[in-house]
Amino acid sequence: MKLEVKNIRKSFGEKEVLHGVSFQVESGRALGLLGRNGAGKTTTIRILMDVFHANSGEILLDGKKFVPSNHRIGYLPEERGLYPKRTVLDQMIFLARLRGMNTGEARENAKKWLARLEVSEYETRKLETLSKGNQQKVQLAATLVTNPDIVILDEPFSGLDPVNSQILKDVVNELIADRRLVIFSSHQMSYVEEFCDNIAIINQGEVVLAGELREIKKDYGRNRLMLSAENYDQNRLAEKVEQEFGDLVSISGRKKEFLILELTEKGSRRKVMERLAGSDIEVERFGGYAPSLNDIFVAKVGEEE
Amino acid sequence: MKKIGIVLRYELKEYLESKGFVAFTIVLALVGAALLFLPRFIDMSDFTGVQVIGGEQQGDGQGESGEAGETGEKELYLYYDQAGVVREELLGQIFYGTDWRQAESREALTAAVEAQEAEAGFVVTGPVEYEYYVFNKSMSDNNTAMFDQAMKLFYRMDYCAENNMDLNEITAMYDVPITVSERILNKDSGSNYWYCYFLVIIVFMLIVMYGQMIAVAVTNEKSNRAIEVLVTSTTPNSLLFGKVIAGAISGLVQTGLIMGAVLISYQVNREQWGGMLDMFLHIPGDVLLSFAFFGLGGYLFYGFLYGAMGALVSKTEDVSKSSGGLQVVIMVVYFFSLLQLMNIDGPVIKVLSFLPVSSYSTMFARIAMGTVAPWEVVVSFLILAASIVGTGVLGARLYRMGTLRYGNPIKLSTALKDLKKSE
Repeated sequence: MKLEVKNIRKSFGEKEVLHGVSFQVESGRALGLLGRNGAGKTTTIRILMDVFHANSGEILLDGKKFVPSNHRIGYLPEERGLYPKRTVLDQMIFLARLRGMNTGEARENAKKWLARLEVSEYETRKLETLSKGNQQKVQLAATLVTNPDIVILDEPFSGLDPVNSQILKDVVNELIADRRLVIFSSHQMSYVEEFCDNIAIINQGEVVLAGELREIKKDYGRNRLMLSAENYDQNRLAEKVEQEFGDLVSISGRKKEFLILELTEKGSRRKVMERLAGSDIEVERFGGYAPSLNDIFVAKVGEEE
Repeated sequence: MKKIGIVLRYELKEYLESKGFVAFTIVLALVGAALLFLPRFIDMSDFTGVQVIGGEQQGDGQGESGEAGETGEKELYLYYDQAGVVREELLGQIFYGTDWRQAESREALTAAVEAQEAEAGFVVTGPVEYEYYVFNKSMSDNNTAMFDQAMKLFYRMDYCAENNMDLNEITAMYDVPITVSERILNKDSGSNYWYCYFLVIIVFMLIVMYGQMIAVAVTNEKSNRAIEVLVTSTTPNSLLFGKVIAGAISGLVQTGLIMGAVLISYQVNREQWGGMLDMFLHIPGDVLLSFAFFGLGGYLFYGFLYGAMGALVSKTEDVSKSSGGLQVVIMVVYFFSLLQLMNIDGPVIKVLSFLPVSSYSTMFARIAMGTVAPWEVVVSFLILAASIVGTGVLGARLYRMGTLRYGNPIKLSTALKDLKKSE
């Protein structure tokens, strides 16, 4: 399956909040929808789920108009909520039935997902009696209760402790391995980096960067190097680099343990290595710099602003 | 339709499994039934006019105090006759089942009444004048009216004696008995009025109570954020229709059980009650049927609107604000319906019985008390049914529109404008 979002525009009143959002994602791969708070991620997802209607643009699944009600979709909204006064199993069966399953299948699947998320013991309890973390897990189980082919998770890790986050990570990895189409919205880059093959960074209603994460990282790291020294602290090393290597590199950033250098037009890795070899710098760490998604995000969203 | 059924079953289960709902229904049905069985076990002849001794019905409902007089102590009344007109033996007949005694003086009479040794006392100061003494005068005290009657009789007797006239002849001429043979060819508004009155109140209470419950349930879904999961799992029509119909069924079950218990219990014990509650509880089947259909229709009509009103707010405490306008309409219809029961074939109630906002209570009242052609019932019901579908669809659209609009309550006018824009 291939889901394509093409040039979606959405206005609330006079204000346009999405200015032509486009991205695509395929089965067996996960797309990370990134953006700051209020960037337009949730609005995009709600349009995908037909909660809101787009003013223009189209959404296609395998080249045909995407109608959410014709597919089994697991949707975890940003605004979490189920029935607090109803029992866990009852409401999961209810939701599965609403999404087209018969009662037998619904019960079987509900029990399966509650077990997978380690909350089986609460199936006969009212939701409101569970801890917040367990309520989150029940909500995720309710999302996946129909074994959906398309899974859309809006900020799935918010409110989860590290142990529950690990369980969720495993589940998401299983979904991807099981060739489900996964769309994942977050502003927590580390999680996106773990699962997503593709990303789309949305800033102020526009996709400012989209594509395969590996390629994006490669592009961003192409002319960047990292450097640290045994005999210079970071400030002194930065001064020295600026004075003696300024024609070959510029300092583009600092990490706790090293400087990030960017090659100038005249610079190359080999030239920098030769220059280092001739200097009094005792190299502790030197090599190509692989940027984190966080670096890319900050750089991209920062640029746009 | 299938999805409506799923929502309906889920919502209905919540009502029927609610301990409060079950307890309220059972307790009210049992209490209602038990009260109506009382005359079988307790002597309520004072109230019903029918005495039950050892399970057998006695008496014919005549003379409330007379029955008490035969089985218990008679109430004592005093008189002090300064004019010399009183015939004590006649007082005993006019005030049936009472005991009369002449007081020695006005002071003695007053003291006995004050000490509550006598129920009341009369000091006759002239042939057409007397004073009445009572310790606490009750709302239903009609002693002066009865004593007036006695005084008039004494006066007539004295007059006839003085003028050598025959009192019996004159009385027979004045009180000539008239025989009436009544044949009601259609409805007896007098006897149907009270149960119509009560049915109007019941349907009004059902609409307000269950309507409010539906509105709160919808708002709860918004406030606990379940609504986004729901509207992405099925259509708003399924959600609202399922929810409202579930409320209607539970209301019907609850009212049916309570009313059924009360009506059947009364039917079983009607003789013991001497038919005195017929005006409330002896309801003909066709009226009950029309009440069920029109009442249910009115309930659904307003239920959808209540659901939509619930979707326009995010907090349950705002529900009353949002549904205030609707409540006013229901109240106005309620008062108009009750007022128009007095003029059941008048033009106002005729018009009201065709309007969907009011036909739920006025049409069955017309069926019970007035003259209504079958085509009128059919047309009124069709208008109501079409309006239910209309309000259902409009309600579902407002519900859908209000789904993710949190924060301040949305005004109905704003919501309708937004709906128009989105078309």
